[in-house]
Order: sequence, then structure tokens, then C-alpha cells
Amino acid sequence: MSQNTITKTILRSDELSCPSCVPKIEKALSALPGVTKAAVRFNTGKIEVEHDPARSSVDALVEAIRGTGYEARPSAF
Amino acid sequence: MSSLVANISSAITHPARRRFWLTISSGSLIVIGLIARYGFGMIDLWWVLMVAAALLAGSDIAVRAWRALKVKHLSIELLVTVAAVGALVIGEVWESAAVTFLFMLGAWLEMRTMGQTRGALKALLDAAPATAVVLRDNEPVEIPAYAVQPEEIVLVKAGQRIPVDGEVTEGTAAVSEAAITGEPMPAEKAPGSRVHAGTIAENGLLRIRATNVGADTTLARIIQRVEEAQEEKAPSQRMIERFAHWYTPSIIGLAVLAFAFTQDIRLALTLLVVGCPGALVISTPVSIVAGIGRAARSGILIKGGQHLESAGRIDTLALDKTGTLTEGKPRLATMIALNGTTEDELLRLAATAEAGSDHPLGRPIVEAGRKQGALPTPETLDEHAGMGISARIDGRDVAAGNRRLMDKLGIPLGTDGEAGLDRLLTAGQTPILVAADGKLIGLLGMSDMARDGAKEAIARLRNIGIGRVVMLTGDQQGAAQAIAREVGIDEVHAGLMPEDKLDLIRQMKADGAHVAMVGDGINDAPALAAADTSIAMGAAGSDVAIETADIALLKDDLGKIPEAMAISRATLGNMRQNLVIALLTVAGLLAGVFSGHVHMAGGMLVHQLSVLIVIANGMRLLRVPGANKPAIDARGGRGQTAVAPAASAST
Repeated sequence: MSQNTITKTILRSDELSCPSCVPKIEKALSALPGVTKAAVRFNTGKIEVEHDPARSSVDALVEAIRGTGYEARPSAF
Repeated sequence: MSSLVANISSAITHPARRRFWLTISSGSLIVIGLIARYGFGMIDLWWVLMVAAALLAGSDIAVRAWRALKVKHLSIELLVTVAAVGALVIGEVWESAAVTFLFMLGAWLEMRTMGQTRGALKALLDAAPATAVVLRDNEPVEIPAYAVQPEEIVLVKAGQRIPVDGEVTEGTAAVSEAAITGEPMPAEKAPGSRVHAGTIAENGLLRIRATNVGADTTLARIIQRVEEAQEEKAPSQRMIERFAHWYTPSIIGLAVLAFAFTQDIRLALTLLVVGCPGALVISTPVSIVAGIGRAARSGILIKGGQHLESAGRIDTLALDKTGTLTEGKPRLATMIALNGTTEDELLRLAATAEAGSDHPLGRPIVEAGRKQGALPTPETLDEHAGMGISARIDGRDVAAGNRRLMDKLGIPLGTDGEAGLDRLLTAGQTPILVAADGKLIGLLGMSDMARDGAKEAIARLRNIGIGRVVMLTGDQQGAAQAIAREVGIDEVHAGLMPEDKLDLIRQMKADGAHVAMVGDGINDAPALAAADTSIAMGAAGSDVAIETADIALLKDDLGKIPEAMAISRATLGNMRQNLVIALLTVAGLLAGVFSGHVHMAGGMLVHQLSVLIVIANGMRLLRVPGANKPAIDARGGRGQTAVAPAASAST
């Protein structure tokens, strides 16, 4: 596995309502294959994921977040 | 028909919509059940409807609890699920239905209101247009905004948002820069003007040479900076998070202990329901997000919760004069020609000498001189650091500078010269003495203009409780006093070196003051660094100011300083109010549970209400008035100080 396949994807969600969802989403994302880092910023609703898109696509990230009960979408910055 | 199917399927797959419909359905069942029991005495139907309502709302909570458990996370949903199932098992169907319904309803309302709190920044995000029209091979082509290459020509029509940072090459337009600077008045842009992504061309047609695109634009940097600021944790938030960290586990432990000792299953389940420290963990972030978002909307970048907290405590404000209180562009205000020289000749010689220097005081003289006609080239030129310049022009020895230069060259001022010098100094102007062939031929008086609105801004600062406003300047006493009088500052420290400013700031802090310093970031850098809060002006397009100051004003508008202070104070007060609300709720709930006055449904209701109250309180910050409504601010400021002592005692 080469290092340079890891990309950083930024997602945004308007639905984070209680900071208790932060570790929940982070753990759900980290459990996906190829995800090396997941950080949920509660205050801004920004979700930063470092992942290998070949093993977990952006759609898979969105799906994992949806599984925890929140809708998110990819964002340019 | 197909749209109905699509609606239903999106209601099932979209988590927020699904929860919304589950909440509505579960609530309806509860209402029908209550009518059945208390209107018609149908206890059996009531029982069935309550169980159905609990299962409907509880299913979503249980699924989320299970998914979290799979990734080894003990979620709030798990506590609610255990409590709701427990209530069903012991036959408390009403409690179970009410707890699950209120949990869902509260979460939905919290999501909506939190979204609005974050909304201030959304306006900035939406300001960035997705596409741009560029000229390629002289043909307009529409491409994604981030795909524009630097140096490409972008076309912007009337009513469109400018997609890149760049320089106008052709056309003129009135451009509304509200998204960047918060300034409502459009600015006139012509060839050579700089324009920013996210601003709107109100009319005209512009051709813009792109310099920065996508994440490199000022708009993107501002968004990034604001978001970092909103995420930066205030000290009080860190304290609460440590508290929250052990709060939930210890409530679970407490529930287990309570059951072990009292065998009261209802007490144990109620404890689980109130086990989420909701209002507490959200109290500080909601105020900070709203406060920083509100400030960003006015072109004020506050660099995070910590700086908000310290800016909210400021009672002393120190301002640099040149470039801060004033335009920083001296003008030639007075000419006194002496010893038979004409004003034209005086200006021509002074301008020719100054043309060889790059001193800021020289520039307006050169400009004024060029208006009279072409200036000759000096034969020789000598700069005297800190004093002025001497030159040989048309065979005459010309010197232009301050009194020390005249003393050095042995040129007497004479009575006329002394009188002229006094006149200029009294008027607060900076004098430049001009001599030719060893004789004083006249004096030029330079003056700097106070910025528009400076006086109102200072008055407003005093209004909101900044008791001490001080001018710190390297300029001389007369010039400093003249500007101070004009803007209404009574404490002036003039003739300061950068390290003197630093010492004064340190002295004020040692005397117990909370000091903010406003400066242009260069010669004020040490003083800015020493102040509790540093404020930089005119940061649009300047990375250094955005990066180093605690508060960066995107526009050279002194009115933004009282606005930033008012927002900081309001936010600090708001945070304290929220903390008090949250702590009272936690204490009240625990007391109520142990005294037997609060049961499951009631506990959930109070808990959810407290979260909503805290969010609603935070949202008030989005309505802190702007620079033109001082009266309301002053009132808000007093309201918050009343809460402060209680809050600091309880934290």
C-alpha cells in the first residue's frame, strides 16, 4: 500500500446537534477500510477524512455518516 | 405517483427526514392515546397506542445505539434505549412513549436551531460562485471557478458574483464588497483596481485578470480562518469537556448504585434519561459559533473563543495614530514662503529635493510640485537619516527637513522662521523647513486627516464601557494633540519609539487593566504582541494581519472596533448565561430525581428544553446590532454584566 493514494476529503453536515455525536461519527468513519484519520468539527459541522478512495469512496464515507443518523455532503473547502 | 414514491423513499433514507416523520407519527399516536384514555376511558387502546408510539420513535434511537455500540461507542442513544425498554418492561408505557418522543423531537429542533446558528458562515460559503466565464482563444467559456488559471481573463457581467481574486483590466463597475468587508456601500472599480472573489458587480461589465483562485482567494482564506476560530476551544469549553467526559459514565454508575441500594428501578431509569450533559456541552460552543459568525458577517475576524473571552474583558484601548486613527496619508496643508521667495519656487525646490527620497512625508510634496510642472533632476542628493534631505538643484544648495537638519547645516531660522514654525506646530502640523544657499526660504506644513467616523467610534467605545482610550504615537505632541482633540481622546502619549509603546502597554497591564491595542502591525508589532487583545485594521488582502492579530478588521473602518468589542462582550455574557442555565439544569434535575419529584418523561422534557434554551440564547448573538445602532448595544452590555458575578462564582 503506497502512501500517496491517501486523499483528504472534506464533508459538511448541518445536522450535528449535540457534541456527543462527534466520537460516534469519528469511530464509524475510522472503522471503514482505508480510512487513516477522521475528525469531526462540531462547531462548524465540518468533517475531515483522510482515506484511500480506492478502498473507501467518498460515497462510502457519506453512507457511513448516514448510518450514524446524519446527512453530510462533500465540499470543496 | 413516482414523485410520491421518491418522497417516501427519501423520507426513509434521509436520516433527518426519517426522524422528522417518525417523530410526527409517534406524537400523533400519543395524542390519540391520551384522548382515548381521558376522553373515552379506553385504557386498552391507550396502552396499545403508547407502546406503538414508543416502538416507532424508539426504533430509530435503538438502531443508532446499536450502530454506535458496534464501533465500541457508548452513546446517549444507548442510555435512552435502555431507559425506554426498561420502562416498557415494568409497564410504564406512558413514560416510555414520552421519553422516546421527546428525545426525537428535541434532537430535531436542536438540529434546526444549531443549523441556524452556523448560518452566519453559510452566507460566506454561498458567496463563492461555482462557475466562472473565462476568455479562451477570445471565446467566452464557462468553467468551474476553481479551474480558472492565474493570469486568465475572467468576464463578469452586471449582477454577477466575481469568482476569483484579480485585477480589473477593462471596464468599470460598482462592486458590492459586503461579503468580504461587511461594507454596504459599493466601491467603484476601474482598470487597475483589485477585486475579490465573492463580491458582486452591481452594474457594468468587467474583465478581470485572475491572480488567486479557489482555496487561495481572500474569501476562502477568511472562511478557513473563521472556521478555525470557531473550532478553537475557549478555556471554559475545555473545562466543560473534561467535566462532560466523566459526567455520563458517572451517571450510569450512579444509576447502578441507586438501584443496588434502593431497588427502585424507576429511579435508576430516570437517572439514565438525564445522563446526557446536553445543555452543558453545548453551552459554550453555541455562543462562540454564533458570536464569531456574527462578527464575520461584519468583516470582523475574531480568532477564536480564547480571544473572544479576552476581548470581552477589555477596559482599556490603545490606538496608534498614523494609519489607524488617521488615513496615514499626510497632505500638504500649509505653505509659508519667506525672504522674498514665491510659494511656487518654494514648492518646486522642495519637491525636486524630496523626489529623490522615499520618505512618506515627501510624497505629497512631490505630488503637489508635479502639478505645477515638470521637476528638474537634482545634480547631487544627500539623505540625512532622521533629519531630511539636501540636494544641488540648478546650481543652488537646497535642504529640506526638520529643525535638526537646519541646525546641522548651520542655517538660522530668524524671527520669521521661528514664528512660522510655532504657527505650524500649534496647528498640529508637521513642519518641513526648506533652505536654499544657506538661507531659510520657507516652511511646509504637513497634516494627516482623522478617518471618517473616528470621533463616533471613540464615543461609542466609551458608551459600551471602554473607560480609558489612549493614543500612542511616534509623532510629535502637537500633531498628536490636534488629532486627539478632533476625535475626542484625552490621553495622548506622543514621540514614542516602538519599545516605548511596548513599555506603556506593559505598565497599563501591570496596573490591572485589560488592554487592547489597535495598530497597523509594523512598528506597533511589539505593543500589539504585549496587549491582551491585538486588533489589526484593513486586513483584506494582507495575510500577515490576518495571521498575527487576535482580531482582524477587513476594512479600515474604526466603527468596527466598538462593534467587535460589543460582540465580544455580548458573547462572553452569553456564554456565562448559558453556563448558568446548564449548571442549574443539571443540579435541578439531579435534585429532582433523588427527591422523587422528577420522573422519566419530566426529566427528558426539562433536559431537552434546557438544550433548546441554550441554543436559542446563543442565537440572540446573531442579532447584535451593527455600527449604526449604539443605543441597543449599550443596553445589552449592561444586561450581561449583571449575570457575570453569579457565573464566575459557579464556574
